[in-house]
Amino acid sequence: MSKHKISVRANGQLYERDVEPRRTLLQFIREDLGLTGTKCACERGDCGLCTVLVDGVPTKSCLVLAVEVDGKEITTIEGLMEGEELNPVQRAFIEHGAVQCGFCTPAFIVAGGALLKRNPSPTEEEVKEAVGGILCRCTGYRQIIDAILDASKGAKK
Amino acid sequence: MPLPEFDYIRPKSVEELVSILAKHGSEAKLMAGGTDLLVLMRDRLVRPRYVVDIKGIGELQGLSWDEGRGLTIGAAVTLNEIIASEVIRERFGALWSAASELADPTVRNRATLVGNICNASPAADTAPALLVHNAEVEAVSAKGSRKIPIEDFFKGVKRTALGPDEFVKAVHLPNPPDGAKSWYLKWKRTWGEDLALVGVAGLVANSGKWIVRVALSSVAPTPVLVAEIQNAFEGGGTLEEKIEKAAASIPGGICPITDVRCNAEYRTHVAAILTKRVLRKLLGLG
Ligand SMILES: Cc1cc2nc3c(=O)[nH]c(=O)nc-3n(C[C@H](O)[C@H](O)[C@H](O)COP(=O)(O)OP(=O)(O)OC[C@H]3O[C@@H](n4cnc5c(N)ncnc54)[C@H](O)[C@@H]3O)c2cc1C
Repeated sequence: MSKHKISVRANGQLYERDVEPRRTLLQFIREDLGLTGTKCACERGDCGLCTVLVDGVPTKSCLVLAVEVDGKEITTIEGLMEGEELNPVQRAFIEHGAVQCGFCTPAFIVAGGALLKRNPSPTEEEVKEAVGGILCRCTGYRQIIDAILDASKGAKK
Repeated sequence: MPLPEFDYIRPKSVEELVSILAKHGSEAKLMAGGTDLLVLMRDRLVRPRYVVDIKGIGELQGLSWDEGRGLTIGAAVTLNEIIASEVIRERFGALWSAASELADPTVRNRATLVGNICNASPAADTAPALLVHNAEVEAVSAKGSRKIPIEDFFKGVKRTALGPDEFVKAVHLPNPPDGAKSWYLKWKRTWGEDLALVGVAGLVANSGKWIVRVALSSVAPTPVLVAEIQNAFEGGGTLEEKIEKAAASIPGGICPITDVRCNAEYRTHVAAILTKRVLRKLLGLG
């Protein structure tokens, strides 16, 4: 099956690679770019742990082909620092202890950050809705929701 | 498990897509959001030689509405684009609420309305809304284009009226009757993302004469419109009596199965209750 040349900007850096059509964006990010902060679990869109931003839009990368993102911009958990500083959502997750095993954390931080960009002061319902596609099997949702709400207050200050 | 091998094609125009399907129809699968297709391919339930990505085709993007022609939704329009539309929210409430109940907001950034109906799952959330709104599916192939009423589109579990060389260009919804209201209620096992145990769309209008339509998902091999509902509103009686009569006609209009999500008796029971709820909501009975 013929490979396709794609050029993708990931976390600000340009990458050119030849990919097989069947390669998912998730495989591309983890295996070709070595960005293993994005997690692989169900590979069928249910758990949301592979959530990244494609041109700023939260996307389950296991259900996207790498060839589809040619010319697009990808943001993963590795690209969220603001210079040397953690971003407000990252900081709030630490303050709230919103991390148990940590496997879902990158996805929640990526999706939470995207929500605050779109809607800087969400209600609790809006936070729940926005991260509704991501599962935390330790079930630490309370702290996760509180952290995102708190980060929104921090951002307003 | 990796996806099976295939070739990827990204046509730029409808003409190009038509000729790809004329040549490779039975070996090709169209991909819009890929949220059904890639899962089916991972499970080896479909093995296309060609995956044809339709998102590069300008003519399939965008939705439009006007007073005369009604609503047109292109095949590449995502569910989140539908939810963002004021016109759909105001005039096609069942479609708006069904789109809002489908999967989760991240999936909806990719998933399309047309992908939902072409996948032809009995649980397709948007199908009952299209049924109560009398939608038409615009199908195109090398032979030309035809309009398929949504009632004739679903042929069985995962089967549609489309030929192997045919694709859906758009879905059309006529403007609903004056003063019409519509809505979709979805019964799930959790508050979060889940497929419908039962889904019910209703449409109600009355300018002198009642127009009442109810359609359901997850209660038959295909989404179904229950025509007897209209009869319940033709005779006399109070509104409450009409609603009871409508709900009583539901078991005869569906044939649910027992599966991992719930059993058939439960589905029949919930279908009648949701029918009452959606009608009460639309009739302003709280
Ligand atoms: C986690 C998760 C949760 C989900 N929850 C729900 C839910 O709650 N309710 C629900 O109804 N669905 C649900 N789905 C299923 C799916 O997301 C929807 O059916 C979605 O609308 C499919 O759209 P798509 O654009 O992704 O379709 P695709 O996967 O791109 O296509 C689906 C099928 O339609 C065909 N097709 C696509 N476009 C065309 C066209 N223009 N002409 C002809 N054939 C075409 C494809 O070849 C394929 O067979 C869920 C899926 C996932 C992964």
